[in-house]
Amino acid sequence: CSFLSSEMRFHIITAAFLWAAFVESRKIRGISSSYKRFYRERKSFLCIDGSKIIPFEQVNDDYCDCADGSDEPGTSACPRGRFYCTNLGFRPHYIPSSRVNDGICDCCDASDEYNSHARCQNTCWNLGQKERAYVEGQMKTLDEGLRLKQQLIEEGVLLWREKQAQLRELQRAAEDLQIKLEEHRKRKHEADRLKEQTLKALKAGDRGKAPSIFRTHFKTFAHFAELFQFTQLGRQANKLTILHLTHLKIARLCLCAASRSPLKIPPYIWRALFGNTRGAQSQQRRIVNLSDLLFCLAAEWEAADLKKVEEAYETVNMEISDLQKKLEIDYGTDWEYLFLNGQCYKLKVYEYMYTLCPFNTVSQKSTAGTEVSLGLWGMWAGPAKNRYSQMVYENGEPCWQGGSRTTSVTLTCGTETGLRSVKEPSKCQYIMDFETPVACQPVLKQRGVHSEL
Amino acid sequence: MCCWFFLRRMGPVLLLWVAVCLSGSWAVDKGNFKTCDQSAFCKRQRAMKPGESPYRALLETMELTNTRLTLQLINDNNKVRLLLELYRLQGNITRVKINELKPLKPRYEVPDVLIREPPTEPLSLLSQDENGVVLSLGAESQRVIVSARPFRLDIVEGRDVLMSLNSRGLLGFEHLRMQEEEKVEDGMWEETFKTHTDSKPSGPSAVSLDFSLPGVEHVYGIPEHGDSLKLKTTDSGDPYRLYNLDVFQYELYNPMALYGSVPVMLSHNARRTMGIFWLNAAETWVDISSNTAGKTVFGKMLDYVQGSSETPQTDVRWISESGIIDVFLMLGPTPRDVFSQYASLTGTQAFPPLASLGYHQCRWNYNDQEDVRSVDAGFDEHDIPYDFIWLDIEHTDGKRYFTWDPHKFASPKEMLQGLQDKKRKMVAIVDPHIKVDTNYKIHNEIRSRGFYVKNKDGGDYEGWCWPGSAGYPDFTRPDMRAWWASQFAYDQYEGTMENLYTWNDMNEPSVFNGPEVTMHKDAMHESWEHRDVHNLYGLYVHRATAEGLIERSGGVERPFVLTRAFFAGSQRYGAVWTGDNAAEWDHLKISIPMCLSLGLVGISFCGADVGGFFKSPSTELLVRWYQTGAYQPFFRAHAHLDTPRREPWLFGPENTALIREVIRQRYTFLPYWYQLFYLAYQTGEPVMRPLWVEYPQDPATFALDDEFLLGRDLLVHPVTEEGARGVTAYLPGKHEVWFDIHTFQKHNGGQNLYIPVTMSSIPVFQRGGSIIPRKLRVRRSSTCMEHDPYTLYVALDNRRTAEGELYIDDGHTFNYEKKELMHRKFSFANGVLSSVDLEPNAQFTTKSWVERIIILGASKPSMVTLKTADGENQLEFDFDASMSVLTIRKPGMNAGADWTVTLQ
Repeated sequence: CSFLSSEMRFHIITAAFLWAAFVESRKIRGISSSYKRFYRERKSFLCIDGSKIIPFEQVNDDYCDCADGSDEPGTSACPRGRFYCTNLGFRPHYIPSSRVNDGICDCCDASDEYNSHARCQNTCWNLGQKERAYVEGQMKTLDEGLRLKQQLIEEGVLLWREKQAQLRELQRAAEDLQIKLEEHRKRKHEADRLKEQTLKALKAGDRGKAPSIFRTHFKTFAHFAELFQFTQLGRQANKLTILHLTHLKIARLCLCAASRSPLKIPPYIWRALFGNTRGAQSQQRRIVNLSDLLFCLAAEWEAADLKKVEEAYETVNMEISDLQKKLEIDYGTDWEYLFLNGQCYKLKVYEYMYTLCPFNTVSQKSTAGTEVSLGLWGMWAGPAKNRYSQMVYENGEPCWQGGSRTTSVTLTCGTETGLRSVKEPSKCQYIMDFETPVACQPVLKQRGVHSEL
Repeated sequence: MCCWFFLRRMGPVLLLWVAVCLSGSWAVDKGNFKTCDQSAFCKRQRAMKPGESPYRALLETMELTNTRLTLQLINDNNKVRLLLELYRLQGNITRVKINELKPLKPRYEVPDVLIREPPTEPLSLLSQDENGVVLSLGAESQRVIVSARPFRLDIVEGRDVLMSLNSRGLLGFEHLRMQEEEKVEDGMWEETFKTHTDSKPSGPSAVSLDFSLPGVEHVYGIPEHGDSLKLKTTDSGDPYRLYNLDVFQYELYNPMALYGSVPVMLSHNARRTMGIFWLNAAETWVDISSNTAGKTVFGKMLDYVQGSSETPQTDVRWISESGIIDVFLMLGPTPRDVFSQYASLTGTQAFPPLASLGYHQCRWNYNDQEDVRSVDAGFDEHDIPYDFIWLDIEHTDGKRYFTWDPHKFASPKEMLQGLQDKKRKMVAIVDPHIKVDTNYKIHNEIRSRGFYVKNKDGGDYEGWCWPGSAGYPDFTRPDMRAWWASQFAYDQYEGTMENLYTWNDMNEPSVFNGPEVTMHKDAMHESWEHRDVHNLYGLYVHRATAEGLIERSGGVERPFVLTRAFFAGSQRYGAVWTGDNAAEWDHLKISIPMCLSLGLVGISFCGADVGGFFKSPSTELLVRWYQTGAYQPFFRAHAHLDTPRREPWLFGPENTALIREVIRQRYTFLPYWYQLFYLAYQTGEPVMRPLWVEYPQDPATFALDDEFLLGRDLLVHPVTEEGARGVTAYLPGKHEVWFDIHTFQKHNGGQNLYIPVTMSSIPVFQRGGSIIPRKLRVRRSSTCMEHDPYTLYVALDNRRTAEGELYIDDGHTFNYEKKELMHRKFSFANGVLSSVDLEPNAQFTTKSWVERIIILGASKPSMVTLKTADGENQLEFDFDASMSVLTIRKPGMNAGADWTVTLQ
């Protein structure tokens, strides 16, 4: 407005002051009640930072006198000033002075646009209601979330115990296997030794020695028969031809081991085992030869057996280390995040399907079908006071410009567990919102709607 | 942006190729672009060495009318005749045109660049004999001497030769011919570069001419090159090249062609400034040589002392592939005269909407509406002003311009309204390549109307660009441009509102699979080859778009259109940026000479991507770039898709504060910027100008390009060195004083001043003798500040006087043409500051008032009195004796009033 109208405004304001003075000290625009004490009407005004004393008329006269902006709480004159929106019915707050009379409604009570073209409505009541409804909803969500969280904590503890038990069981199994393993190693060692001996003897042409060795060690091999249920085998001898060679060899072995006199073996078994042979003599000889073979095959069998036990031992150990690794992860103070491990959550955003498997992987799949890793579990990355509010997944698929894809997951309180949003603000840097009851924090409850009445 | 992103999607072969590029050093792949030797006409012409010209003027053919002289030239080697036309134009310009007397078919003459047929002034014959003729160039003692044998032209003033043409005998004019006519050299009728063959149906058609500039050691202009302000000699390398190209990751300090071309060169010495405007839109090369180039300062002094030296001289030679010779010799003599001479030919800077002088926030890409909303909110949260947020190509539905991605930008009007509610605006990109897709309305219409550029066989030309296969509308056609403009109407371009503006990228045109990443020269624009019109294409795209924005408002609103490609005359259509630079300190440094060079040739609205487009800047570089960009005309931050986010608040509170502070400084100076743009619009004077323009007699300023002036009154020396502890700024003018705008410290002119700097320092000085109006209430956007009061910064010179101006209008319409404006002049002398109306016929009222007057270099008054039409009253004031700064408190008069403030 022009020089004239600004003067007129001054008069109007002065008149208003005089009137107000009758009632109480005049109202200073743009301050909160807690600041009223600085603006008690006197002859002069001391800038709040103490830097300057100015005549009181220069408070809110649309000219910035104080470096801290304190003389112009109600105008846009000071670059560092702030204006207090009382916002009755809603939340009061400060806005920068530069938003006073800029034609944009900032305070819901419209108090910031007292001299502009903007036709601001007082929307505080509506906003307040919405806010209250929202906060109520939030509170409900929070209550429900906290309840669910409690459950999840309990479940988490149980799950934790279960996993611990599982670990112990595995460890026990491992111990058992280790004992077995040693046994088998010993046995294999012995078999190897016998084999060596036999081979040596055979080489030396001392054929006669072999049966005696066999006899000496008969006990060692006696259990083969039991293991392989000789009688059973015998009955199914016509099917033996289709048995695996190793089995066949072992069967031969067992046959020899179990019967002192090979002659008692029914011919059809002979046939099955050794093919068509003629004459007992040759059979007898064969048996002698077989007893040589026995030692060789015994070593072989023991080696196969040991391998199996070793494999089993390895598997169990792997399971142990997997489980230990899983249990090493920080699942929160009450293991409340443990249940997430093993789950996967999906969300489609535009043309991509995103999958978050907490504590494991994040990936993106395009409609074309190619899947790209957006990161592997890295760590918790929230601020110190709430470190469980954010997760980071790193070392995803490499990026064009170098580096690799990373994903940062923000956990928010909700009644359900799921992926709520995915963004890629910069190439290869993903941001996810993940909602879950376990992210609910009781402290939120302290916040509410204040309204200055 | 360039083809980078596209290439990586083009399959393994290209990927491999890119990978090979990447494995080398980070730079342009020079092999993709021609050297002079690889451009057949340049090689042919450059092979011609100085010597006696085969051309002879046939004086008997001379015809002299009141406005022009015509004369035939004959080449004694082949007897081909040329027609020389010579005009004296208003405002001390001489135009020389040379064409074939009887070409086989018409040769291309550049249309639409001159704003009108330049008005002529009478030429008179002074003398004539068998050796030549002498013509008078008007009242001053300027004459043009036409020598017959060999042919040459000399422009003479008194006893001084200002400029000579063909004095080195390098006039070359390849006449059009039938292919079988004579011996055929390689590259005359066909030329192959890499895998591309140019069919050259017209054969050789190059033109070239040399210009000698006696007494000249400094030449400038001929943008766009990533090079110093003062042009270098080209004897040892390639000539400067003018050929609009999409150069991926351009390299600095070399003469390679970039995105735009303005074939205008300025020459300057302490006595005179001149310009040469070579009006030719074909591929052009410019050779510069100098007889002092190799000499050291000592060598020059020795010459001087011995008195034996030849006068310094710069020789220039222009070579173009086709068209005719049509050259405007702008004879100055002052820099301002050259600006106005050039403006009289090609027009002045379009007067931009005020808001476009604010800060622009851009990125490839803001991903969706939610992203736009949150970036917008970020500015409010961090109390940083901005006026425009930008959307790059990803906002479209599959790179179909004039459309929106149906998911990411499902409700563009809602988004635009959200910005409008905060008095902010948006720019969306519209590139000229059109996706070949029969389900795309724009493509179908262009095709059915036959508006596409044709290939040499008559079919629609197709090339690869962002959308894949794309057609290129023939913007040289007025009917095509009219149709294009109509597509910006609110009912055509769905989802748009008045606060949406446009950005034309890739308009060189960029063709990913074309020769040198551009269009084949044998593509056809109706009857002309692309060869003839190439450098004009971008200007036409820019023009059609700007006209579209004007039309959609019924001719009321000023457009804002940013272009990457440009030509002489592009200033009339909007802003230009320096293309795809990189986040490197050298790129920050080069932004100064690149914009200064553009300003000298009329394009004032220039800026570089703040932060650098490719790569990611260090925080220090980013802050320094903001500090530099805030004092350059077009102030936009931009970033490549592959770089991390860099909105101003992402680098910690300290850096956010530094960036906030400098953007706020920009906003406080908006009244001054606006006034400078009004001046540029009126006179053609550059907004951002080299020091020599204001101090033309001070040789110390001639090569300076690490500092610059805004108008006459602000001197800026940005910090462009990493880890700088200080800068040395040259403060020009022996009798000037300069005031640090931050501390109000006064410094004498005519000295190199060392200024210690911290991260918050931006060395900027206000000239003593100037008055700059500022608005110190920085708000969310420039529009929010419309009615705000002014603070006048009165910087006194040694005579304790100062002058300044204030220009105000509505900020966004063309109503200023109807004199709805306010133009005030402030002057301070004898202790009286007064405001008078410079345009009493104009009508405009403002709510803005004067809230504060700060007088720098003042002494303490006993009383300050304001006198207006309403009477007199005394004003409060405050005097800071340590800095001699007088602050007058709240004078309160309307900015449009007549008033005086008297110090007693």
